[in-house]
Amino acid sequence: MADVIASNETILVVGAGISGLTAALEAAECGKQVILLEKNPAIGGRVSQLYRYFPKLCKPACGLEINVRRLKANPRVRLITMAEVTAIDGQAGDYTVSVHIRPRFVNENCTACGACAEVVNQEIEDTFNYNMGTVKAAYLPHNAAYPQRYLLDPSLIGSPEAQAAKAVCKYDAIDLEMQDEQLQIKAGAIIWATGWKPYDAAKIQAYGYDRFENVITSVEFERMMDKYGPTGGRLLRPSDGKEARNIAFIQCAGSRDQNHLPHCSRICCMASLKQSTYLSEQYGQDSDARASIYYIDIRVIDRFEDFYRKVQADEKVHFIKSKVASVVEDSSNGDVILHGVNTEGYHRYANHHDLCVLAIGMQPSVPASKINGGIRGDSSGFIELDINNGAIFGAGCASNALDVNRAAQSATAAALYAIQTVNRVARAEQTMIGE
Amino acid sequence: MTEPKLGAYICKGCGISERLNCDQLAQVASSEGKAAVVRQHPFLCSAAGVEMIRSDMAGQGINQVVIAACSRRAKTEAFAFDTVTTSRANLREGVIWIRPDHEDNQETTQEMAADYVRMACAEVQQMRQPGGNTETGVNKQILVVGGGISGLTAALESAAAGYHVLLVEKSAALGGWASKLYRSIPTREPYADPQDTGVELLIHRVQTDPQITVYLNSYCNRTSGAPGQFSIDISTESGATHTVNAGAIIQASGFTRYDASQLPELGYGQSPDIIDQAELERLASAAGTEGSIVRPSDQAEVKAVVFVQCAGQRSNQPGHLPYCSGFCCNAAIKQAMYFKDNNPSVDTVILYTDLRTPGNGEDFYRSAQRKGITFSKGKVTSVVPGKQGAEVFFDDLILDTQTSIQADLVVLATGQIANAGIDVEHVTSAEEPTDKTAISVLNLSYRQGPDVPQLKHGFADSHFICFPYETRRTGIYACGPVRRPMDMAQARIDATGAALKAIQAVENAVLGRAAHPRSGDLSFPSFRKEGCTQCKRCTVECPFGAIDEDENRYPLFNESRCRRCGTCMGACPVRVISFQNYSVDTVGQQIKHVEIPDEMDEKPRILILACENDAYPALDMAAHNRLSYSAWVRVIPVRCLGSVNTIWITDALNSGYDGIMLLGCKKGDNYQCHFVKGSEVAHDRMSKISDTLEQLQLEKERVAIHEVEITDIQRLPALINDYADVIEKIGMNPFKGF
Amino acid sequence: MEKSASKQPPPTTTAEKYRNNFLREVEDNVEEGEWVKMCIQCGVCSGSCPLGSAWEHPPQELFMMIRAGQREQVLRSDSMWMCTSCYNCIVRCPRQLPITHIMHGLANYAHRLGIAPAQNPTRRFAKIFWDNIAHSGRVNELLLSIKLYFMNGFGEGIRMAYHMAGMGFAMFKTGRLDPFGLFMHKGIDNAKELQTMLTKAREIEDRRRGLGLGVAVKAD
Repeated sequence: MADVIASNETILVVGAGISGLTAALEAAECGKQVILLEKNPAIGGRVSQLYRYFPKLCKPACGLEINVRRLKANPRVRLITMAEVTAIDGQAGDYTVSVHIRPRFVNENCTACGACAEVVNQEIEDTFNYNMGTVKAAYLPHNAAYPQRYLLDPSLIGSPEAQAAKAVCKYDAIDLEMQDEQLQIKAGAIIWATGWKPYDAAKIQAYGYDRFENVITSVEFERMMDKYGPTGGRLLRPSDGKEARNIAFIQCAGSRDQNHLPHCSRICCMASLKQSTYLSEQYGQDSDARASIYYIDIRVIDRFEDFYRKVQADEKVHFIKSKVASVVEDSSNGDVILHGVNTEGYHRYANHHDLCVLAIGMQPSVPASKINGGIRGDSSGFIELDINNGAIFGAGCASNALDVNRAAQSATAAALYAIQTVNRVARAEQTMIGE
Repeated sequence: MTEPKLGAYICKGCGISERLNCDQLAQVASSEGKAAVVRQHPFLCSAAGVEMIRSDMAGQGINQVVIAACSRRAKTEAFAFDTVTTSRANLREGVIWIRPDHEDNQETTQEMAADYVRMACAEVQQMRQPGGNTETGVNKQILVVGGGISGLTAALESAAAGYHVLLVEKSAALGGWASKLYRSIPTREPYADPQDTGVELLIHRVQTDPQITVYLNSYCNRTSGAPGQFSIDISTESGATHTVNAGAIIQASGFTRYDASQLPELGYGQSPDIIDQAELERLASAAGTEGSIVRPSDQAEVKAVVFVQCAGQRSNQPGHLPYCSGFCCNAAIKQAMYFKDNNPSVDTVILYTDLRTPGNGEDFYRSAQRKGITFSKGKVTSVVPGKQGAEVFFDDLILDTQTSIQADLVVLATGQIANAGIDVEHVTSAEEPTDKTAISVLNLSYRQGPDVPQLKHGFADSHFICFPYETRRTGIYACGPVRRPMDMAQARIDATGAALKAIQAVENAVLGRAAHPRSGDLSFPSFRKEGCTQCKRCTVECPFGAIDEDENRYPLFNESRCRRCGTCMGACPVRVISFQNYSVDTVGQQIKHVEIPDEMDEKPRILILACENDAYPALDMAAHNRLSYSAWVRVIPVRCLGSVNTIWITDALNSGYDGIMLLGCKKGDNYQCHFVKGSEVAHDRMSKISDTLEQLQLEKERVAIHEVEITDIQRLPALINDYADVIEKIGMNPFKGF
Repeated sequence: MEKSASKQPPPTTTAEKYRNNFLREVEDNVEEGEWVKMCIQCGVCSGSCPLGSAWEHPPQELFMMIRAGQREQVLRSDSMWMCTSCYNCIVRCPRQLPITHIMHGLANYAHRLGIAPAQNPTRRFAKIFWDNIAHSGRVNELLLSIKLYFMNGFGEGIRMAYHMAGMGFAMFKTGRLDPFGLFMHKGIDNAKELQTMLTKAREIEDRRRGLGLGVAVKAD
């Protein structure tokens, strides 16, 4: 691993979600050398956990498949998973980046045959499913995982099961001695694409995410629709496994709120509109299932408006202009009761629902202040385009609250900024050679 | 040319040798597959296994390789041999993992595996190593059409990466709408105040950049060619024309403001004191930093101004815009600040239904409130002009009342309309005449029309969420408000992204490589001229308008515009179009080499042609989950269902297949086909195949086509098994053995 | 200071619709009134109020009414008098408006203008309490209770006293109630000085808000 070939004409991309992947591939398809780092064992980031995209309601796995094929076919991108940046030294055109790589305990011999998982019984939290279930400690993160290689959880190491897994592998793919590694990478420019994380819902005390089982976040709800997700693709509420047929969506859960996130997270209105269509998908057009969307403003710009109108036309989706004041639980049946006031004409409500979904706000996974000792970002921690940031460029949701399409645009633009830097380096070196 | 020499390599790992008789497969490869070298290996993807293949290539002159192991999607990097043609027989995901491990299944499972080995051997013998398109242009200049914010940004960012830029602007000055603005929406923290547009600086930088050549008062009179070799006639108003060459084109032709005179209910045109946002910018510029904004009717200082949001937007009414232009809420805030910053005692009211200030716009909204701008959730019903000013009638949606405000000035937030040129698909697909007032932006000499196809509401946007720069005219990238209503900050990011794609297009064109989504593909279509009947189906059906006609009315492929989907190949009734490594024969021979059992054996054969991006991976994932499906199927991945030539269907039926399934992506308005129309045209062609079935006196069920998604991991095996039941019910194909 | 008499319009003035003159009046005269313009009409305050159903116009609606220039409806309303200072609204408001303080500010302003609903029990309690504590610097609890019991007439007072007699006796037994306190209430030392301080404080407060002294303070 230590022999990563890189120079100051290399572009380093940090994060292999949709933005990092896009930036890496777009730059590489311009002929540039790219090193792509991913913290997780598989690429795809947050979008690989989405069930459908708005507004087309298509599957994120489809676009990821194309990107993975581009990646496999392109020798100019070097992907390193389970890797995180620990330090950046140098300046634009000449960075040395220190990278820490966690051990996977499975090497490149792995054929994804799954024999190791068969002999391991120990289970760990399933982070891919937001800890809504468990997964075996020898596992492939998900169906479409790339690299298509298993990994062993560190907690398994030293146990007899780890030895059993090693013994059952016919391909010598399990290496229990694998250690943490440190790597130094040269790069001319850095694209920072570490994406976003959901705001900590427990901090919104009045909504009881930490107290009521049937209050969940939008990202968790998304996982429930996946046939291979924690509920096998069914909208079953956590408290009793009952089908959720009367679902509340609370908008601005954390966003547009100076007590939490001051910015508008942009995607949540469309996300809830999208999720409201899951009810028809799950229960059929003519079912009694219904969705209630509690909102301040429905923020769906440009042709997303078409989608909004389509959902508005659905009698089973109700819109209530209200920031929900509080959520309480009906302890007799686990229902959630939403209290508040519909401010369009002042109507007080106490509405019962099977399940409450918080349209959770978006915050940068790594705030700008934590990158290279602090680079220029806004007060929410999103990276700004700034000359003082040298050749460190934010891409996707590391730079703003963006939907997938805009994140890909941002990543494509970031790829050009990086190329401008490395082309300058190349021109300067050519000039020097010329002399 | 060297003699073809086939090597077949059978992997025994991952349970293959436990489930299958590998010696028999080796026998099939050598006797039927005509493999010169056949080897088995316990762990073929290991370094030693791959080395074994490489040494045969070097030592034995093997130049056709069959890997009988796992799916082509697994271990792709290990088996990437770029000097030989390679085919994969999918024994793992395609056979042993989808068949239950049971004694009763042994025979059928082995038959399945043997067929896949036959098919791989047959395919690889038909494949040629693609050498890359040689009809490449080498021009790396970037042509930018439009000199507004988007065009200026695209030009500067391309130049900063070292590329020469030609910038064509139809008016006499650079700057576009931005230069008509007094101030712009803030793009940096604290997002509190209107900021300088910065357009003067951009113009200055463009004018002084030695890498950028500017053509004012000019337009593209004729655009022809392909990436790397576009030729553009640039004409001036005076009629002078000269021809330039470019490798890629960025279309930043911007927007036209909505004609507010279509809004009589909002009083536009009935009083000089009822204006749109663009006109307020003029008033604000006239007032400058010192003076106050005055109302047009009597030049008195405006003391009360009302902003009416969504004027003629987000509306179903005829003549209104159905979409939201996205920028107008922030723009109204900015304009209200023009008044408040000058004189805090001016009353400024913004009437909105949803205040749409996404992202950091929330800070700008807060700043506006702090400055005392009043926001009221209200639906405006009418604006009635007075002698001076006007009265705005509206429903206050919070207080649930019908009410009104008196204002000295009323500002209507009208929307953006894309300058996307002529709607080429409307011209070709509908009988009613297209908008005659539309003027072409690019004047492409392409057979499929003079402009880039429009997506929706007249915008030239990408249909793909993951791929915002997907374009249906390779090497031409739209950016800015021509593709989606947007503000300046978004336009600048968009223009930068488009500049990258243009650069990428020229770099790939020079090397003869395909653009997205088959990026890097070196194969390209060629055709046998002597067989061509000039039916023009290829030129009509190409989703990317890549094919023109030459002076003798033969198709002209413009390889650099081609995206390698094979829709032309599927369209061709005389089968003269092929790619080196993907042709009517590479698939046709696979179909022919499946062993069709005798009718009495009661072993049906079902051919599945599966889209390689969605259906095929879904089948792979079904295998990873050890779901099972019928042993009767033989799956062939295709680049796109659009590439499926009906000859494959009729040949298969004639040679005794009992059923054929086509698995492709969603078609229609929300299509998910990566090649835009491939799935659509496949459905069209299959609907016509029922005539053929009738002629052959075959049941219509013998050909089935389905839209599937990549996540249909459980649905696909069920679909296949149901189909196998249907086939068993209708019985064997009577053409077996003929 | 350019504060003029127009900042203190007579109670009958009608504010122009949506023309901000009432909003400005509130900003100038109501404690924390400058926050009213920051409301985004989300309604979390209205929904969070434990006495919400008793409000004819919940806080967020009052803010909209202020912006709409509904001066009379706002100031004559008893809604803001419903606030019990639980602070639920303040902690939840996404714009961090000090809603509780604004409600008290509005109530206080209406009271000063003399247009607050005269029979509003909260207002009357507040006045009884204030008079009680301002008199001696320490609350005379027994007197306060009696005044409250008899607030709505003699018969009502007797009924109330009878109803509460058990509790009163229990409190007496445990030493929590001193019947002599009614006549021999021990206030703070030198309550006169306290009253001087309060008068001075009111003067400063009024001057800060640009209010003429004693314009409406006397209104009951």
